[in-house]
Amino acid sequence: MKRDHQEISGSGSNPAESSSIKGKLWEEDPDAGGMDDELLAVLGYKVRSSDMADVAQKLEMLEKVMGTAQEDGISQLGDTVHFNPSDLSGWVQNLLIEFNGSTTTPDPNFNDDSEYDLRAIPGVAAYPPVKSDPGLENTRKRAKTESSSSSSSTTTRPVVLIDSQETGVRLVHTLMACAEAVQQDNLKLADALVKHIGLLASSQTGAMRKVATYFAEALARRIYRIFPPDSLDPSYNDKLQMHFYETCPYLKFAHFTANQAILEAFSMANRVHVIDFGLKQGMQWPALMQALALRPGGPPAFRLTGIGPPQPDDTDALQQVGWKLAELAERIGIEFEFRGFVANSLADLEPEMLDIRPPEIEVVAVNAVFELHPLLARPGGIEKVVSSIKAMKPKIVTVVEQEANHNGPVFLDRFTEALHYYSTLFDSLEGSGVAPPSQDLAMSELYLGRQICNVVACEGMDRVERHEPLTQWRTRMETAGFSPVHLGSNAYKQASMLLSLFASGDGYRVEENNGCLMLGWHTRPLIATSAWRLAGTESGSELTQELS
Amino acid sequence: MAGSNEVNLNECKMVVPLNTWVLISSFKLAYNLLRRPDGTFNRHLAEFLDRKVPANLNPVDGVFSFDVLIDRATGLLCRIYRPATAEEPEPNIVELEKPVVGDVVPVIIFFHGGSFAHSSANSAIYDTLCRRLVGICKAVVVSVNYRRAPENRYPCAYDDGWTAFKWVNSRSWLQSRKDSKVHIYLAGDSSGGNIAHHVAARAVESGIDVLGNILLNPMFGGQERTESEKRLDGKYFVTLRDRDWYWRAFLPEGENRDHPACNPFGPNGRSLEGIKFPKSLVVVAGLDLIQDWQLAYVEGLRKAGKEVKLLYMEQATIGFYLLPNNNHFHTVMDEISEFVSSDC
Repeated sequence: MKRDHQEISGSGSNPAESSSIKGKLWEEDPDAGGMDDELLAVLGYKVRSSDMADVAQKLEMLEKVMGTAQEDGISQLGDTVHFNPSDLSGWVQNLLIEFNGSTTTPDPNFNDDSEYDLRAIPGVAAYPPVKSDPGLENTRKRAKTESSSSSSSTTTRPVVLIDSQETGVRLVHTLMACAEAVQQDNLKLADALVKHIGLLASSQTGAMRKVATYFAEALARRIYRIFPPDSLDPSYNDKLQMHFYETCPYLKFAHFTANQAILEAFSMANRVHVIDFGLKQGMQWPALMQALALRPGGPPAFRLTGIGPPQPDDTDALQQVGWKLAELAERIGIEFEFRGFVANSLADLEPEMLDIRPPEIEVVAVNAVFELHPLLARPGGIEKVVSSIKAMKPKIVTVVEQEANHNGPVFLDRFTEALHYYSTLFDSLEGSGVAPPSQDLAMSELYLGRQICNVVACEGMDRVERHEPLTQWRTRMETAGFSPVHLGSNAYKQASMLLSLFASGDGYRVEENNGCLMLGWHTRPLIATSAWRLAGTESGSELTQELS
Repeated sequence: MAGSNEVNLNECKMVVPLNTWVLISSFKLAYNLLRRPDGTFNRHLAEFLDRKVPANLNPVDGVFSFDVLIDRATGLLCRIYRPATAEEPEPNIVELEKPVVGDVVPVIIFFHGGSFAHSSANSAIYDTLCRRLVGICKAVVVSVNYRRAPENRYPCAYDDGWTAFKWVNSRSWLQSRKDSKVHIYLAGDSSGGNIAHHVAARAVESGIDVLGNILLNPMFGGQERTESEKRLDGKYFVTLRDRDWYWRAFLPEGENRDHPACNPFGPNGRSLEGIKFPKSLVVVAGLDLIQDWQLAYVEGLRKAGKEVKLLYMEQATIGFYLLPNNNHFHTVMDEISEFVSSDC
C-alpha cells in the first residue's frame, strides 16, 4: 500500500519551486520512525511520522466512501461518539469502521445509553432530614510525619484577566510584593504591605475585592503565624461545599462526568460496587442511581462504600447519608447496600476491610473527587492509596482534581498560581447570575477562602490543598500502572448541556484534553475529570480495540 | 463527480506536503460532519474536536500570552501575545499590561479564520500563527475571539471586531512612544480577512487610523459563479457547496451573496474612492476556488486608488500558512514582516 502511494507521488509533476521540500517530505524518513510529527504536534495532533502515509490513506478511503453519501450530507455521523481527537489515526480509523458499519442508523452500542435524566441531579431538596441508627466501622490512626512537596513543574501558566482597572493592578502588585517579602522572610515589610492591601482592597469591588481579602488574610496568618485551626469540623466544610454545589456548576460537572464514565464501565454488569473516597453528603449518587434504574434490561444491584473523616460529635454522618440513599433506592427500585468507613486519611485504608467481591461477581468503581491531592501532604500517602486502589481491582477509577499548580516547591510561585486560579474562580461566581449577597454565594466564597488560606498560610502536613495539574496526575496514574479510559463526545455534549441548564452566564466552557474533560471559565480550565483502568485490562467502553 | 474523485485526491496530494494534506483533510472531514443540511451546526462536536491551547505567561520562543475579557456582556475575549523582554524573562501578572517599549510598536489585531463558523482565538492553529506574527513583526498581537455563525449572524462578528478595535485603540500601554498613539494593523485569514476589511472601513469612518490590512486568503464571494469557482470546485479541499453553506449561515436570512458583507465591491457594495482606507497586503492562493472574488477585491481597491499589494501564490492551497513546511509560507511571512516594518 505504501509503495503505491509513493509511486503516485513520484510520477506527478512537481512545481519546481517547492519540489525539493516536497521530495524530502514524501520519502519515508528512516529516522522518523516512532517519533510524532513535530509540526502536527504543535497543532494538537499526535501522529507518528511513520503512520502519516497510513493516516492519509485512511482519509482517502473515508473520502471515497463518503463521496456517495454527499447528497444526504454525512452529518448523521455526528451522532457517532468520538474519542480523543488528538489521536488522528485512531479517530479516522473509528470513523472508517463506523461508516462502513452503517450509513444511516448509528450502531446501538454507541448510542447515548449512558445519557441520563439531567433533572436527576439533585439540589438541596433531595435530602429531607432523617433519623439514623448508630453503628460505625472505625479506623482511627493518626500518623504525623513531615513531607516534601512534589516538585515537577508544568510549563503553562494560563491567565484570564477580567479587570484592567488601575486599582486592580496596584492591588495585585501589592499582593505579589507582600508574598515576595514573606518568601524572603522580610516580615517587617510583609506586615506593612499586608496592611496596605487591606486599604487597597476596600476601594475595589466585586470578585477582586473578595479574592484580595482572602489572600491578604492568608498572608497575615502566615506572617503572624496564626495558623487556621487544625482539622475543622468536617460537617461544617460539608455544609460549605453544599452551598458551593448550589452556586456554581463545578461540583455538578465533576459528579456528572465521573458518573458518565462509571455508567459506561457498569454497562454489562449485574452487581456493581462504588467505592467513594469522599462520601460527604453523597450528592453524586442519586443521579447515578436514577440512571442505573432506567437502564434498559433493568438495574444492577448497587453497593456503595462511602469513606469519610471522623466527626467530632461522634454522629455517624456516613450512615445518615447511607439511609437517605437507601430510601431513594427503595423508591426507584434498586437493590441497595451501603457501608461507611471512617478514616482520618485514605492512606489508613486497607482494601481487605472493604469486602471486595470477585470481579466476576461484582464490578468495582473507585471514585475520588478532590480526594487525592491531600494525600500529597504526607510522604508515601499517594503511593499507598494508589496501590490500595489497584488491590480493589476496579474496572474504572474516576478522578476529579483542580486544574492548578499549587504544589510547587517555591512559595511565591504557589502564591501566584493560586492568585490567578482563585481570581478566575471568584470571577465565575460573580458572573454566575446569583443575585447579590445571597447565603449560597457567601458560603461558596468562604468554602474557597478556606482553600486559599490553606494554600498560602499552611505548610507541611497541614497544607492539604496540594493541587496539581492533569499532566502530573496522568503521569502518576500511568506510572502506577493505569491506562486512560477516554471520555468521549457524548459525555462532552451532555456536560456542555448541563452547564447551560444550571449556569446562568455562559462563560463556562468544557474542553477535551487527551480523553479527559475539563471545565473552565472562558479559556482557563479549572477542574479536570479523568478516568482510568488497570493497564492490561479492557474497559469495554470504547470503540478502539486497543489493548495494552 | 464520483469518478473524478480519485483524480482530485491525487492532484491535491501533489501540491502539499503529506502532513499538511493530512491536517487539512482531517479538518475537511470534521467540518463535513458539523454542517447540517438544514443550516444548523453541530457546535458541541465542533468544540469537542477543536484542538485548543491555554494562554501561557511562560514565554515560549520569546512570546508569552494572556487572555482578557474585554466585554463581559457578550463574553468577548481576546488573547494578547507579547514578546518577552530581556529584563523580564518571566513575566508575572503585573507585567501583563506594562507599557510597550519602543518608538514605534506595531499592534496587530488578528481575526482567525474558519468561515465565520469554526475555530476560536485559542485554537491551536491560530495560537501558533499569532505567535509567529509576534516574532516576525516585532509586534503585539491581539487575537479576537469573535462570535460565530450560525448562532450569531452578521453583523456580530464585525461588531465584536469593532469592540476589540476600540479597546485596543484606547489602551495606553499599547501606545508607541513616538506619537502616543496605538499603531494598529488589522489582519486575518479566510473569514478573518473579511472581518479585517469591514473593521478597517468602520475605523476609517470613525476617523481612527489603521496603518495596514493584511488579508490571507480572505473570504469574499458573490451570487455569480466565477470561472475559478467552477474550475476548482472540490479539487483542493474546498467545495462550492460548503462555501454556499457558510454564507447562508453568516448572512442575514433571506440575503444572497451580493450582500456587501460578502461582496464589498459588488452590486450592493460601495466604492472606497475618496476614503482614507489603509494600505493592504492581500495574499491569494492559486488553488483557492474563491480567488476570482479575492482578485476582484484587489481590483476594487485599486480602482478606488487605494494602495494594495497582491501576493499571488500560484501553487498554494488554502491553509498553506498553518505549517512552516513550504516556500509559500516563508515568502508570505517575509512579505508581512516587510509590510509592517516599513512603517517603523
